[in-house]
Amino acid sequence: MNTLAQKPGLALPHLSPEQRAVLLRLAVLGLLGLALSLAAPAFLTTGNLLNVLRQASLMFLLASGLTLVILCGGLDLSIGANVALSACLAATAIKGTGSIVLGCAVGAGCGLCIGLLNGLMVTALRIPPFIATYGMLWILHGVTYWYMNGETVHGFPPEFRMLGSGYLAAVPVPVYLMLGVLLAGTVLTQYTTWGQEIYATGANTEAAALSGVPVHARRLAVYALSGLMAGLASLVFLARLNSAEGDMGESLTLQAIAAVLIGGTSLFGGTGTLVGTLIGALILTVVLNGMNQLGISANWQPFITGVIVILSVLSDALTRKRHGS
Amino acid sequence: MTADAIPLLELRGITKRFPGVLALDDVSLTLHAGEVHMLMGENGAGKSTLMKVLCGAYTADAGQILADGQPVRVRHAADARALGVAVIFQEYSLVPHLSIAHNIFLGREPLNRLGLIDQARMHAQARAVLARLNLDLDTQREVQGLGVAQQQMVEIAKALSQNARVLVLDEPTAALSDRETQRLFEVIGELRRQGVAMVYISHRMDEVFSLGDRVTVLRDGKYVATLRAGDATPDELVTLMVGRKVDMSYHRGERPAPGECLLEVRGVSAVNGIRDVSLKVHAGEIVGLSGLVGSGRTEVARAIFGADKLTAGEVRFAGQPLRSSPTHARQLGLGLIPESRKQQGLALMRTVCDNLLLAGLKRLFPSNLYQPGRGHAEGRRRIAQLRIATPGPRTPVQSLSGGNQQKVVIGKWLVAGTRLFIFDEPTRGIDVGAKEEIFRQIDELVRQGCAVLMISSELGEVVRVCDRAYVMKERALAGELGRDQLTEANLLKLAMHHG
Amino acid sequence: MVETMNSVASGARARLGAASGAAWLLVGLCAVFSVLAPGFLSGANLVNVLLQATILLLLALPMTLIILTEGLDLSMGAVLSLCTVVLAVVQIDSGSIVLGLAAALAVAIAFGLFNGLLVAAFDLPPFVVTLGTLGAAQGLALVAAEGRTTMGVAEGLRWFWEGGWLGLPVPLWLAALTWAVIHVLLYHTRFGARVFALGGNREALRFGGITVKWSLLWVYALGGVCVGLASLLLTARLNGGHPTAAIGLEFDAIAAVAVGGTAFERGKGGLTGTVLGVLAVGVMRNGLNLMSMPSSVQVAAVGVVVIIALWIDAARGRA
Repeated sequence: MNTLAQKPGLALPHLSPEQRAVLLRLAVLGLLGLALSLAAPAFLTTGNLLNVLRQASLMFLLASGLTLVILCGGLDLSIGANVALSACLAATAIKGTGSIVLGCAVGAGCGLCIGLLNGLMVTALRIPPFIATYGMLWILHGVTYWYMNGETVHGFPPEFRMLGSGYLAAVPVPVYLMLGVLLAGTVLTQYTTWGQEIYATGANTEAAALSGVPVHARRLAVYALSGLMAGLASLVFLARLNSAEGDMGESLTLQAIAAVLIGGTSLFGGTGTLVGTLIGALILTVVLNGMNQLGISANWQPFITGVIVILSVLSDALTRKRHGS
Repeated sequence: MTADAIPLLELRGITKRFPGVLALDDVSLTLHAGEVHMLMGENGAGKSTLMKVLCGAYTADAGQILADGQPVRVRHAADARALGVAVIFQEYSLVPHLSIAHNIFLGREPLNRLGLIDQARMHAQARAVLARLNLDLDTQREVQGLGVAQQQMVEIAKALSQNARVLVLDEPTAALSDRETQRLFEVIGELRRQGVAMVYISHRMDEVFSLGDRVTVLRDGKYVATLRAGDATPDELVTLMVGRKVDMSYHRGERPAPGECLLEVRGVSAVNGIRDVSLKVHAGEIVGLSGLVGSGRTEVARAIFGADKLTAGEVRFAGQPLRSSPTHARQLGLGLIPESRKQQGLALMRTVCDNLLLAGLKRLFPSNLYQPGRGHAEGRRRIAQLRIATPGPRTPVQSLSGGNQQKVVIGKWLVAGTRLFIFDEPTRGIDVGAKEEIFRQIDELVRQGCAVLMISSELGEVVRVCDRAYVMKERALAGELGRDQLTEANLLKLAMHHG
Repeated sequence: MVETMNSVASGARARLGAASGAAWLLVGLCAVFSVLAPGFLSGANLVNVLLQATILLLLALPMTLIILTEGLDLSMGAVLSLCTVVLAVVQIDSGSIVLGLAAALAVAIAFGLFNGLLVAAFDLPPFVVTLGTLGAAQGLALVAAEGRTTMGVAEGLRWFWEGGWLGLPVPLWLAALTWAVIHVLLYHTRFGARVFALGGNREALRFGGITVKWSLLWVYALGGVCVGLASLLLTARLNGGHPTAAIGLEFDAIAAVAVGGTAFERGKGGLTGTVLGVLAVGVMRNGLNLMSMPSSVQVAAVGVVVIIALWIDAARGRA
């Protein structure tokens, strides 16, 4: 397929495949927004749009680490449970000591440790990532439930709650966090040698290893980062929900995966961007929000998310076949 | 075996073309019942291709196949099986956790009246087939636990159970011990008595003369001769296999005298099976590493590069000991251009530029900050330097031709500042014109003071390009040939069992 | 006849050898809990363990085949929950047990075929496909249960859990029957051989062509059938359906299969190990329960055991 061919009669500027993918998704987002604003008048209000932004930012924070793992050719199914445990630990730390800083450190630290454990299982123990992180998911689930003992911790200092539910210059705080992570992450993936090595490892691990890339170290690092981002995201969730309980974040993993896949990151590794994941998060959030606006029961959400995941994987696989890889 | 009887199987004038390559050119072969027919030729002579045509994996572009004197069409594997042709490949197609009997009858298990597998009948029939080979194995055992030799026997049994009249054996003793080889010969003798015809591909002279009835030699896809084993000598066979017209455009000009010793390999053994290998490569030299397929050449390259762990010995680069890690090897100045460039050398979905820069990232950007502008400039520079034919640095490397892909792999190591290049079959799958180009590039490298260790299965290449060569045989070093002794015949003799 | 018996017996001996790890684990767990857990060794408790294990067995048996083909089905728990809801709702609304069961089976088989189709025809990675199906099934279960009566099924249905036949509880009969059928399928049919080949060496099937893809489809469809049957038992046990009744049960099933010696690659393992694995997981949960450990700890414990089992398998594989 010659990407340089110009169709006669159409004066389109030359775009790289990545740019075209982003544009396509923005178009989808736009169409969705348009359709929803026609179908549900309440969708297009400032309040609702800001809400969508807030939700999408939260989803992005979690999905950003996952994007790195998938780019590198792995998978992390434990992030939802990671968020739950980290949030619960942070919650009790804040409540117990009154110190927000300590709570944040605990939450982030918990997430990081989980990420490192996942990474070690995959690199040192050579357990396939999907089953290692799947087992970790249940272990974390169990530990969280046991730790919380059926209780709920709620009521946090307003300074902390700002993180999740507050506004700064009329824009929800999580959006700033999202922008920060997007910027840092994009620099990391596109403007460092480390990022180039991650893409190479995901595209062809063996070739990367034989080119001198320290593959094990890179993979350990992305799992650690994924865990860290889950830990950070858990703080924002905690701040937003203002409560922590054993079964938080159950649907988060599937949603994060959906966001990453919609955004164009291939499950097989080596292609994708954080910008794509952001747009994916926006699209998913708009869909879920739209369903709410249309009065569709919240119980349909896991169904839609599941269908989206399947369609994305299907599309990904068919695209790869078409390009003959 | 009567030589005048109608041949069991005959291949007449088989021609097979692939894009850019004439793999078989008017090749003929006849097989008689109860005959062991040796098929010889160097790597790439066309032996495997001919056998693939025979067993239905490929369809010939021209020529005829006759069974019992009647022309037949062999278009699929099923056609070949119906004729009674079976091939014993080097990679066995056995299911590890099924029993021996089950593997023999996989897909054709005998059924009882209920439609379930008749276990008793299956095991009894399996035992009967194994008895034909004078084997007494417990048919209940999982194939997983069997040794390579026994697995091979199961493969043969599988073929026999499908009433094979022609058995093709592709280097069957490559992975066997002496005792197991003896055992196999006994089985072959037994099969011969039962009237089975066998095509036996081998490089081992002692086998050819002790087992073979007739020998057919192929060279460059062409039929050379068929001799009776009793009438030939090893030297004669070598001469027939080797020797071609030399009309290539590349000429080895004057080369600078070899400089410092860059690579020193001392008594190296590794987990991949090589034993006690020692060699040296100096700056300005192109050293060849020759030997038959499976003799351990790639394993030597991987051990040197740190891809496989050493169990004994050491590797030194410019005096410094090398750790078993490709990262360290790259740091010191080694580069490996692997055999399978698509699977091991390139990330196909990534761009030409990405691939070019991968090994040299640390060198180009010591601060670890990647600047796309500088990166692309370097990419364009190398594209020009190596004359890589690509629409641009941002083209996915997948869309380049084989020769240009190979140049990208070479370019990758140039960017990394490599001083010693290990090439593993650098011209595999590349057409003639591009091959010459690659040789010129390699020549250029050593003129700049680098060193090259080149693994190649094409003896002609080794002789034309290399200053001297080491020869591997069965995972150990068979010998070294200096410039004056570097001929195709000598290389082949060292590589084969010369009995 | 004697020959057949010999062949079968010898095969069984070979398989038991492979599952010895699970056997030792089971014995060890029983020993530990007989000391630490009050009332573990009582007759009533042991019968209870067996009874609870039947539902898990119904999931773990087809899961074994799926894992043998180097696949995975994460959606079983969610589909099972959905089926209990479907079964209960249809039964209560129509009054007919048969109709309810038919509906539940239809739904379960549909999901099984869907999973199998995506994996077999499009070569999609099973864990992501079934993760998506999990979400879909979960959502449907919640929706189906909304605003409907799902509790209080007919006595006839409850008989499947509480009733007995010839002195043994009905669930045990059902589990044993399912085990027998799947055992025959795996070890005595050409289909079973293809299952091993799909995981162990697909090259061996190179002349099979289309049949190979169909076999993969049937493996997942078989899972669907078993999930349907399991929904019968579960609904009977709960006296109704619930959208989150079996969430996470697939994890126990995967754990049982892994502990039982079936590997995730190369087509190694078998049903004997799975049966022992199911008992081991059941004993572990029961024992921890008797020690008043909350369900969360039980789940974590199972998770740790799985990781260790996988690590041992990976280490042995590389040795």
